[in-house]
Parts: sequence; C-alpha cells; structure tokens
Amino acid sequence: MNDIILEAKNVRKKYDKEHILNIDNVKIYKSSFNFLIGPNGSGKTTLLNILSLVDTDFKGEVLYKGQPVTKENFNILNLRRHFSVIWQNPYLFKGTVASNIALPLKLRNVKEKKINKKVRNIAKQLDIEHLLEKKSNELSGGEMQKTSIARSLITNPEILFVDEPNISLDYESTRYFNNLFLELIEEGITILLITHDLYQIENFAEYITVLNDGKVEQSGADVNLDF
Amino acid sequence: MEYIIQALKGAFNLIITLDPEVRTVVSTSLQLSITSTFIAAIIGTPIGILITKVDFKGKHFLNTILNTLLSLPTVVLGLLVFSFISRRGIMGEWGMLFTMRGIIIGQVLLILPIIIALVRNAIHDVDEKMYKTAISLGATGTQQFRLLLSEARYGIIGALVTGFGRVIGEVGVSMMLGGNIKGYTRTITTAIAMETNKGRFSFGLALGIILLSISFIINYIIYYFQSGEIQ
Repeated sequence: MNDIILEAKNVRKKYDKEHILNIDNVKIYKSSFNFLIGPNGSGKTTLLNILSLVDTDFKGEVLYKGQPVTKENFNILNLRRHFSVIWQNPYLFKGTVASNIALPLKLRNVKEKKINKKVRNIAKQLDIEHLLEKKSNELSGGEMQKTSIARSLITNPEILFVDEPNISLDYESTRYFNNLFLELIEEGITILLITHDLYQIENFAEYITVLNDGKVEQSGADVNLDF
Repeated sequence: MEYIIQALKGAFNLIITLDPEVRTVVSTSLQLSITSTFIAAIIGTPIGILITKVDFKGKHFLNTILNTLLSLPTVVLGLLVFSFISRRGIMGEWGMLFTMRGIIIGQVLLILPIIIALVRNAIHDVDEKMYKTAISLGATGTQQFRLLLSEARYGIIGALVTGFGRVIGEVGVSMMLGGNIKGYTRTITTAIAMETNKGRFSFGLALGIILLSISFIINYIIYYFQSGEIQ
C-alpha cells in the first residue's frame, strides 16, 4: 500500500444550517489513481474543494503527509501551488488559449521565456498547438476542457484533482486522457478523480472512496461496488 | 427647406473652417466632461466593486437608492448643488457658482451613481467559477483581485464611457451651475440652447452635429466593449 499524501479527518461542512459533508476519514494515496465516486449531490465536489485547499471554510482538518494543514505548519498558498484542479465546467479567462495555459506560471512569477517554452511543450504534448492563438470564447466544450487540462498540468502538480472531465470530451479524447493520467501516475503524480464512468472505475481505480449523502460509505483498495 | 439647407451649409462651413468660437465651446465641453468622468471613475469604481463583493446591512436599500439615482433629472441635481454653492449656501464662500469647478461638482454627482451601478453590474457578471479557478491556479489575494478587474475590464470601461456620454450631453447642470458664460463655462449643449434662441441656427446646428458625432463614437465604443466579440 502506498503512502498517504493527503487525508481529511472529521471534516464537517454546513450549507444553510444543514450538514452537506460529514466525513470521518478519507485518505488519498501517493502516486496512485484515487477515485471519489457517489451519486449526484453526495458531496464529491465539496470534498474535492476542501482537499485541494480551494475551500478553507469547514470544520475538521486536512493533513498533508501526516501534518495538519494549518498556517502554523505550512505556507498554505505555496502548498496549494503543489496542487492542480481540472474542473467539470472549466472557466477560461479572457484572452487566448496560450495566455490561459501560461496563467499559473505567470502567477508564480516565472520568466516569460520559460513560460513560452513550457506552453509550447505542453500544447504539443496534448496536441492542441493549433489552438494556442485562438480566443478562449471561440472554443468548443472539448477544446475548453483540453485547454484547462493543459493549464493544470503546466505546473507539474504533485496532486492532480480531476472533477468529471469526460462530460465535454469525445471518446477519443477521453481515451487519450485516461492514458495520460496513467502516465502521470507512473511519473509519481497523485490523482484524485471524481467520475461516474464505470469503465474508468473498473479499469483504473486503485483506491476508491464512495460517498453518499455527504458521508463515506466505503473506502479503500478493495471496495465492493454494487454495479 | 431652403432655410435648413442654408443652415446646414453654414454649419458644415463652421466645422470645416474650425471656427474659433465653435472650438472654444467644444474644448470647454470636452475638458469638463473628461475631468468629471475621471473624478467620478476614481470615486465610483472602488465603490462599485465594494458594493458587489462586500456584504453589509442595508446593501439592498443602497442598491435601490443607486438605481433610483440613475434617472435623476439634471435640473433637480443642478438645483440641489446650486443651493450648496450659491452665495448664501454653506459652500458659498468658496465662490464655485458659475465656474468650471461648480459644473464639475454637479457632473460628478450626476454620473457617480451611473458609474457605481454599471461597475457593480460588470463585477457581478463575472462568473463565480472565476474565483474558484483563480484560487486553484495559485493566485494570491492581490492576484485574484487583479484577475477580477481584468475579467470585468470591458464592463468597467463601458461604465466610464457611459458616464462620459451622460455628461457631454447634459444641459441642466451646466446651465444652472455654470451660468453659460461665453468663453468660460459655455458648453456645447448650453451654447446650442442659447445660440439657437438668438437666431444663430447654423452655429447651433454645427455644435449639434459635433455632439451627435461624439455620441456616435461613444456608442460605438460601448457597443465594441460590451458586444462580447472582443477579448
């Protein structure tokens, strides 16, 4: 069993005075394909927001490599910059595809020359070089998702959070990104994927957490799923 | 018909020959409008952003007041400011009545609600997903704010251009607070009203054509920024 890189402990989140998340424990394993599954409204995206440190308004704690993620233990911004998120409905900023892919590096004050080189490389790798000069509002849903994937990968994240990316992707692209995710795990990246795709779950999942009604129903490497 | 054709010929002649009086009036109007818009932008843009992003008691009431002020008649505003800056007003000793400063105060107050409301709308229109995305990409608080401004920039520019369009075409504030003094506080609109009454129809028409051209350019810019066709 791989090391635990991230853990949510006793995490409670309320919305309109109602608990929408009531998690005792969820573990994310290093350099593995971790899956988060469950019916719509079960709290998957809410948990993803908390684990990726995008949402810090909750009760309980998130542990990174066994250490509670607090201001005392970590520079939260720097830690967050080790993570990347691919959202279900990606938001692209005004400007070109190239400027969107470059944005995370610009936010980290990387030099222009290095940014341009990295943008070209990642675009080549994901076969979206032809889109680089296109405006973000001229893209199809699939092209937007590919751009957002490139934007998320350009920082070489330690943990990649992926929230149902397949919705806007065609069959070929889905297959391509499944293989890409597997390659990334080979390279040592940790992935947490939210999906409803049975093919992905059956073929790639190493660790699965099943959420239902904001609570963990099952969790681990050997989860019994009633498909 | 002959009268109109002659007046039109005279008007174009005044524009083409860059008549000094026309130039002075246009220049005064532009100076006033640009200064008023600049001041209102500096005050109104941060307020518009704060109203959208900060939750406070009475926010709904403030927004209702703001929306009401959008249709404030210029003469009513002129009257209000007049009561403050006239000799017997509480700011009377500063001698601002019938000066450019007096007009600027009135014009700033006129377009402040417009700029605040339109900036508020521009910020409000930025997709909520933007904030989550910016955080997930590793933006600091300041970077998130800069990204927000960048995403709303066309709406904000549109707000400022709309404010400029409002002041360049208003007559009530300029007339009541400026006094329509030739070569000093006479603006395009007050000159049109006065010179036409005096029978200088060509002169009024020349200024009307210039004002219409400015309005066209302003509307073109607003359309350009708000059409969503540009990025």
